[in-house]
Amino acid sequence: MKSQSQIVSRTLVGHHSAWAVIACSISLLMCVSGCGSTPAAWFRPNMVEATKQRLTPDQEQQVSTVMLAMFGTPDAPVALPETGLDEAKLQLAAGPVHSDIVGRKNGLYREHCAHCHGVTGDGLGPTAAFLNPYPRDYRPGVFKFKSTERADKPTHEDLVRILHNGIPGTSMPSFALLSPPKVEALVEYVKYLSIRGETEIALMRAFFELDDEAQGKLPETREFLVDEVLTPVTEKWKTAADALIAVPEMASDLDLAASIAKGKELFYGDKANCVKCHGPTALGDGQANDYDDWNKAIVEVSKEVKSGLERAGETSTSGMDSEALAEHRGQLAWLDKFGRVLDGGDALRPRTIQPRNLRHGIYRGGRRPLDLYYRIHAGINGAPMPAAKGTVPPEEIWHIVNYVRSLPYELDGELGADRPMVAKDRF
Amino acid sequence: MRICSRNNANDCAVAVSFRAPLVAAALLACLMTFGCSAERVSTPGADAGRAEQLRATLASSTGGGNAGEAAASTGTGWGTLKGRFLFAGTPGEPKPLMVDKDTEICSKAGVKLVDRSLLVDPATKGLANVVVFARKASRVKETTVPATPLVFDQKQCEFLAPVFAARVGQPIDVHNSDSIGHNTNIAGSSFNQLIPAGQGTLYKADAETGMPTMVTCNIHPWMKAYAVFRKDGYVAVSAADGSFTIPDLPAGEPLEMQVWHERSSGPNGALGLDNPALKWTPKGRFQIQLTPDEVKDIGTLEVPASALGT
Repeated sequence: MKSQSQIVSRTLVGHHSAWAVIACSISLLMCVSGCGSTPAAWFRPNMVEATKQRLTPDQEQQVSTVMLAMFGTPDAPVALPETGLDEAKLQLAAGPVHSDIVGRKNGLYREHCAHCHGVTGDGLGPTAAFLNPYPRDYRPGVFKFKSTERADKPTHEDLVRILHNGIPGTSMPSFALLSPPKVEALVEYVKYLSIRGETEIALMRAFFELDDEAQGKLPETREFLVDEVLTPVTEKWKTAADALIAVPEMASDLDLAASIAKGKELFYGDKANCVKCHGPTALGDGQANDYDDWNKAIVEVSKEVKSGLERAGETSTSGMDSEALAEHRGQLAWLDKFGRVLDGGDALRPRTIQPRNLRHGIYRGGRRPLDLYYRIHAGINGAPMPAAKGTVPPEEIWHIVNYVRSLPYELDGELGADRPMVAKDRF
Repeated sequence: MRICSRNNANDCAVAVSFRAPLVAAALLACLMTFGCSAERVSTPGADAGRAEQLRATLASSTGGGNAGEAAASTGTGWGTLKGRFLFAGTPGEPKPLMVDKDTEICSKAGVKLVDRSLLVDPATKGLANVVVFARKASRVKETTVPATPLVFDQKQCEFLAPVFAARVGQPIDVHNSDSIGHNTNIAGSSFNQLIPAGQGTLYKADAETGMPTMVTCNIHPWMKAYAVFRKDGYVAVSAADGSFTIPDLPAGEPLEMQVWHERSSGPNGALGLDNPALKWTPKGRFQIQLTPDEVKDIGTLEVPASALGT
């Protein structure tokens, strides 16, 4: 007996062969099932850096192979002893979401983090483009909200605090409901992704530093890969706890009103200059055409590609000898590839920085006076916010902290000519 | 499941010979195969077998080997390298910068700030601000880093030196001669500090930069300069007439010099020149060897407009 679909097929293709029926059935099946097969999770190579460094496909493959050797896969992470990472914690956070035989939840990173920060920790998860600010890309190894000096890594406790509190004013929620071992596992995994990403960037940049005798191949030795590339990255994580910002106590007999007044003077003055970015109304409406480091990196390479393409468009190839022509074509192919990398999901559309509106009373890195002291003392790593240390003494930093903390409560009329207008008064 | 793929064009060719419905089905299948992913640059796959071997190498405490540095040079004495960069083209009018803040200071007396990325001396055609440094030197004549601070100043919302070089550990007085506040942000370093009006602060680079790194002011984003920090101090920035001199280089050993210019179209700003005599590479490197007390003048080096992407 003929099946319904066969009869339908036969009427469609007339007397034609069974092949047609099979092909039609296959395409029908595909229509129904879609593209839904799930491949094993993989770390996405840093194509922006690879293309910026003009790596050949062979060199890209070499980096991927070394990365696989040093760090494993998202389902089976590897941590060399030099990383100082705890593989047991990584196992708990890595892999697909599942419960093991004793009912313990595995795959914590993919359950809680990957949809924004991406499986690779590149801040390119499926929801990333819809969020403002964008989720952090861990790969450059730069973190904003921490208790250490500007260029130093966050301490373990800094990252635990971020997971516990979330980041107010952003899409980063609190994970305070997770048990401490789970938070520990996630913090360890974030460090792993960051070390992995920074190592990848260092490897990609190492090609430029190679001598010509190396013929474009990185040495695959322990001396090079571990001692020269990996160790400088992991050392900074290990020494983070030694780089804590020393915070002198605020004077106990401090007159708060006087301190706030001094802080205000500093805020608007040429010494601390907060007004330039946070604006004369402290609404964050000052300098607004700058970028943070993550966005700036994309802006810079986009400019390079754009001007390169413009130049190539103006260049006449008629008088070129074969060597110059080959070089010209090589340059064009590189620009074309770069354009596709930037447009094809390896980068998000750059956004300008938004200096914080200080009248909301929402502080991303924490609202304790201590947190504000850290931010003003060391600036914000990766963001344009500069450090006040060195030129503004600690007691004056405390005055600024006190003024900033008073801003959400500053009474109308105290602001002078630049005071913000209530919306209904505009009409 | 792929019916038509880039690697399997034969199947497509066969499919076309069938009648219309089948062709349509094949097309549909093709569409579905490719339709689900946006156009992306294909990413390289790792070699799993090689990765496995490599992991074993990395796990062993001694593995690998043969990565030693080049043998130390046996040469003695010191020599000087000099040369001059000329721009073989016509530099256009420099573009004005968008100065939209603190204009009463930054555009004082009608001074318009302009883009300084291509500075060519109109009389001599000399190209300024080309950086030349030795990639590796086995010996250093002056081992003590200068203790007197190098002044890096800013005035009228412009860094006075568009490109500057210093030794690692040498104090740099980051100064602000303006009557308004600035901040100075050295990319890739720990330094991004407020510099109040009329004041300065000391900075010591703790690592080499490799290629020069960008220095900016975030309050006035048009302000830009470049800094290069080297341990051995074998670095020069070409003067307004395009000339540069690096004294006291170790003689008797092959030296590889790296050349950089802000506008270079080469990788990471490397300035590639067509100069077979010096074995100039596309990575902007050339080879020299000095004899003791020699002053080696590599003459005028013509930089074509195409190398600078003008």
